[in-house]
Amino acid sequence: MADDAAPPNEQMAIVLTEDAADKLLPFATLVSGAIAMGMRVDVFASYWGLVAFKARAGPPPASVSPGHGEGGTALEEALRRKNAPNWKAILEMAKSLGELHIYACSQSMEILGLTKADLDPLVESVTGVATFIDRTRSASVSYFI
Amino acid sequence: MSGDAVPPAVDPEGKDLHRMVVDARGSWCPGPLMELVRVIKEEPVGTEFELLSSDEGSRKDVPMWLTKAGHELIKVENESGFDRYVIRKSHE
Repeated sequence: MADDAAPPNEQMAIVLTEDAADKLLPFATLVSGAIAMGMRVDVFASYWGLVAFKARAGPPPASVSPGHGEGGTALEEALRRKNAPNWKAILEMAKSLGELHIYACSQSMEILGLTKADLDPLVESVTGVATFIDRTRSASVSYFI
Repeated sequence: MSGDAVPPAVDPEGKDLHRMVVDARGSWCPGPLMELVRVIKEEPVGTEFELLSSDEGSRKDVPMWLTKAGHELIKVENESGFDRYVIRKSHE
């Protein structure tokens, strides 16, 4: 059982602000690894990280972050050729196996003109930053992606 | 255990029904580990799993996870292009 792998209170906190494939795949990989290790994971999706969670049909795009020139194009091709996993599917599996909470940043919602209905069901609720910090203040590991 | 004869669960081909193959070949890290976590959660104590993984990360991740979670790694076999982990669920 995933729950056996860690004391019950171990927790990972992640602030996600990016929506490129080369950020979202490592993000989803970290989340699922932490869930496998029995940790609770709390995610605060902000700005482009929130855009990544906009509900959409079909697989997520595989575009990588800018600034890598030919390397970026090569990585995009490799992700397609090697049939990269769908990062949302990774998160859905992680959520089915453990405690994963994903919150939408209320400031980003306001600026982007989004409502909860515009977001993937993986997003649990819209919260302010103080609520996220309150829920993760004792997290043993935290990342900003 | 009592001495009552309880027939072992076998399928028509003579295979133990409490053995399950989890083919995670081609799945990226930590996909094979996640598949293992899922089946260990779902199947009864005593079930043996053959986890097939072509992910190099599994070679450290799977034994480490089994140690932490308290399940048994019976053996690891290196095949051509993948590894076979034979695992037993030791407890709920």
